[in-house]
Amino acid sequence: MTRAPDLALHNIGLTYRQPRSGEDVTALRDITARFAAGSFTALVGPSGCGKSSLLRLLAGLLPPTQGDMSAVTQSDIGFVFQEPTLLAWRSVFDNVALPLKIANRKSGFSRAEIDTRVIEALTWVGLEARAKALPRELSGGMKMRVSLARALAKRPPILLMDEPFAALDELTRFRLDDDLRTIWQQQKPTIIFVTHSVTEAAYLAERALVMREGALQSEVVIERPKNSQGNFRAAPEFHAACAALGEALAAPPARAS
Amino acid sequence: MRAALLRLLPLGVGVAMLGLWEICVHLTQLPIFVLPPPSAIGTALVDNFATLMGSLWVTLRITVLAFFWAVVSGLALAIIFTRARLIELALYPYVVTLQVTPVVAIAPLILIWVGFDHVDRALVIIAWIVAFFPMLTNAVQGLRSTEPQLHDVMTLAGASWWQRLYYLELPAALPAMLTGTKISGGLALIGAVVAEFVAGSGASTGLAWRIIEAGNRLEIASLFAALALLSALGIALFYALTLLEWLVLRRWHDSFAKSG
Repeated sequence: MTRAPDLALHNIGLTYRQPRSGEDVTALRDITARFAAGSFTALVGPSGCGKSSLLRLLAGLLPPTQGDMSAVTQSDIGFVFQEPTLLAWRSVFDNVALPLKIANRKSGFSRAEIDTRVIEALTWVGLEARAKALPRELSGGMKMRVSLARALAKRPPILLMDEPFAALDELTRFRLDDDLRTIWQQQKPTIIFVTHSVTEAAYLAERALVMREGALQSEVVIERPKNSQGNFRAAPEFHAACAALGEALAAPPARAS
Repeated sequence: MRAALLRLLPLGVGVAMLGLWEICVHLTQLPIFVLPPPSAIGTALVDNFATLMGSLWVTLRITVLAFFWAVVSGLALAIIFTRARLIELALYPYVVTLQVTPVVAIAPLILIWVGFDHVDRALVIIAWIVAFFPMLTNAVQGLRSTEPQLHDVMTLAGASWWQRLYYLELPAALPAMLTGTKISGGLALIGAVVAEFVAGSGASTGLAWRIIEAGNRLEIASLFAALALLSALGIALFYALTLLEWLVLRRWHDSFAKSG
């Protein structure tokens, strides 16, 4: 995996015109942040606070209306959406292979290499046995794993995730959280993970950025016990992080509009 | 077992109706040029088998050609429309005009322009006008029905416009397009018959021409025989396209999902 440079945002703002009312809406304002290569950041905030917009902006799916950001090549990005967003007519294997096949025009992956990468990605998410299945034959959690495998198959140095596990039951979510931690520890991509769940942010990330009303409100660094192999969810550091995040979220917005 | 019986139900109803028809005609002694019994129609079908099959072939050929061009042009125009909003805005009113103007009224013009030398070509064009529109609108709707997030997936993968079309939009549009082909298939046959009626001469000798001819001669049994073949042709077309739809969609589309 090639190492990505740090991602930097400077005074980023995003304003768009509502199609119906014609009013200007400010989705993001004055965001300055830095995401170091190989770091794991959670973006936390209530619904509609602009965290998904920020993620789309980082992915180059939306241009900012103000500010500067470091240029990102889209081929460096793996994006996992809130929905599995699989193509219903393609098998699990073919869904995961699709971005590689499309990129093939430029980067010239051989068929064997695509096969290797797809099987590898499916093995990471524990679905190598279901490669031939169609999406509709899978459970919600499995579909999300396929979606994750599709993002991982490119071996992207940057992984952007937009509430990927929000629609799943808690047990499945815990398992996928663990899988994601493992993948991050093994491969060290830069991960930016959007969630509205305080506990998920505290469990996964090294630090959390709290967003309110389109602005960055505060930053919470999550300490993990050193050399502990136990369940982090039972550790006092986890509860401290949850409490700190809960407090940051409950605080009044730093700036009124 | 029960399901099999239910499938045979329409057939049973048909046989019963034909029997009732046969009996009624014999009891009331209606003249054969008003309402021939099914047995007489069967005899007419057998006696004129070679002629009728020739006519069936003529009509089938026009229908299939018109259908083929309707699918090709409908799909091509749909792809252009969904890629270039300006072209759609410029052309759509004229497409609608072509659709809403009764084809019977346009047919004489087309027969004059094209039909002098190539009657068949004129008939195909007339049938194509009738069949073309549902294919276009269904394909446009299908191509536009793709989830925005799937487009994001393609954007992030760096897909070119034709990769987006090939991997995403065309497969996503298949259900709507296949619905379009079912409607267009039926309309192509209607268009072919209308075209033959309007052409009205012996230059084209399809099933519709046989119907006119039999009507003029008061050979009502032959008329019914040609009519029965037309219906059979329509049914065959419809089920062929339904079969195609099933073959293409059954594995992944929700409308064919099995319970459990």
